Formats: sequence, C-alpha cells, structure tokens
Amino acid sequence: MRLFEATHVFKHDWETVSLASWRKYPNENTPHVRHVEVLNQEVDPDTGVLRTERLIMVQQGVPVLLRKLFGGDASYVLEYSEVDPRQRTLEMQSQNMTYSNLLSVGEHIVYKPHPEQPQHTTFTQSAELKACGAMFRLATKIEDICWNRFNDNAHIGRLGLEQVLSKILAERQALTKVPQ
Amino acid sequence: MTELMESIGKECTPLKHEFDACFTRWYSERFLHGDKTNDCEKIFKAYQACLKNVLREKGLTKMISDARPSIGSVFTDNNENIDDK
Repeated sequence: MRLFEATHVFKHDWETVSLASWRKYPNENTPHVRHVEVLNQEVDPDTGVLRTERLIMVQQGVPVLLRKLFGGDASYVLEYSEVDPRQRTLEMQSQNMTYSNLLSVGEHIVYKPHPEQPQHTTFTQSAELKACGAMFRLATKIEDICWNRFNDNAHIGRLGLEQVLSKILAERQALTKVPQ
Repeated sequence: MTELMESIGKECTPLKHEFDACFTRWYSERFLHGDKTNDCEKIFKAYQACLKNVLREKGLTKMISDARPSIGSVFTDNNENIDDK
C-alpha cells in the first residue's frame, strides 16, 4: 500500500473555490477526464448539506506494463461528495471501479477555509493506492507507477482549478462592468 | 475557452449541458446563500432518465451499486434512477 498526500492553499474564498471545483471539467489541463455525470443529488432538508454522487470516466495513456495487465485504458470512478454551506466544507471521496481487483485507488479531498486566513481555502488530498492479487514485487512496481501518475495528475489538477478560478473572477469583473 | 463536456451517452449531452448550467447557477446564486429551493429538479429528472438507459446498456449499474459502500455514499438503488428494472 502506498499513501499519497498533498495540501495546497488557494488564495480565494471557500465559496469561489467550491464553485470552481464543480466547474473544473472539462479542463484543458486534464484531457484524460472524459466524462463526468451526476448520478444522484439531494439537499438535506434539515442540515442544508448538498449530497452528490458522480460517475467519472477517465481515459489516459497508461504505461505498457499496466496496459498489458489491465487490457485497456478507460476506467470508471465513483465519487460521493458532501457540501456543508454552514460549516463551509466540501468533502469528496472517490474509488476506482474498473480494475479495482488489481489496483484500488481511494481518494479523499477536503476544501475548507484556511484556519488563519478565512478568505483563503485549504485543499487537502489523500489517496491510498493498493495493488492486489499480484506478486509482492509486481504489486510494489504497480503502486510506484501509479503513485507517480497520481502525483502528476494532482499537480495538473490544481493548475486546472486555478484556471477555472481565474475564469470565474474574469466573469465577475465583466458583470460589474456592464453599464446599467 | 473551454468546450462543454459530452455525456457518456451522446443522446444525453444536450440534457447534461442544460443541467450543468442550471446547477452551477443554482449553486452560486442560491445554495451558497442558504436557499435550498431546487431550481433544477425538472431538468435533472430528464437527464437522469436518459442516463439510466445508457448506464444499463454499458453494464455499469451493478458496478456502481457495489462501489457505494467504499465511498460512504448515502444513495441506494431505491432512491436512484438507474436501477436495472
């Protein structure tokens, strides 16, 4: 098992960053994320928490070793999220469904206001990568390859979100400039 | 400028675009301000009905049900629109 962990501070308030997270795809930085579908969604009438279940289809050129093992490069991920607008938190948990008997990737993401600078947003990402059913050395190799890929994707994912944030800010500026 | 994302089933793409646009507007203009009124219910149902068939055709329905516990999802086959009936 290998653990991936990363944190990042976005210099925007939580409301804007959470909106950017919903608007993240499609994104030129992450062309491997091909489809994102909302399967279920509801707002809890008591707590006001928004719950969402999404199906994500990822298609990415994978290393030859993995392509040989997995026989393809399209995979499906299921994601469940909760947004608490009162606590100002967005939490996402996801799990790969394709090839999960060979490699399990469970990811947990939290967006919440920075404890010292509430106008900024802290992004925390952690992922467990577990290769299963293979010989130990092969499992370790698979986990290493996937950890590196995950690290690359995490980096371009953050760039992608920054880009959406810039777009949202530009839209807001354009709106305020419209003559009344 | 970013293109819009296609649905996993091409026939659902127009409904998906309409829903996505409705959702982001609702999220920023209502939900974040404490308003729970759901503006997008009608278009969501239409999008779901379309998606339901596509997921069934692609054989994804059971895989989704099986993966739910691992992500702590509160949704079940009863309150979703993608059952295998």
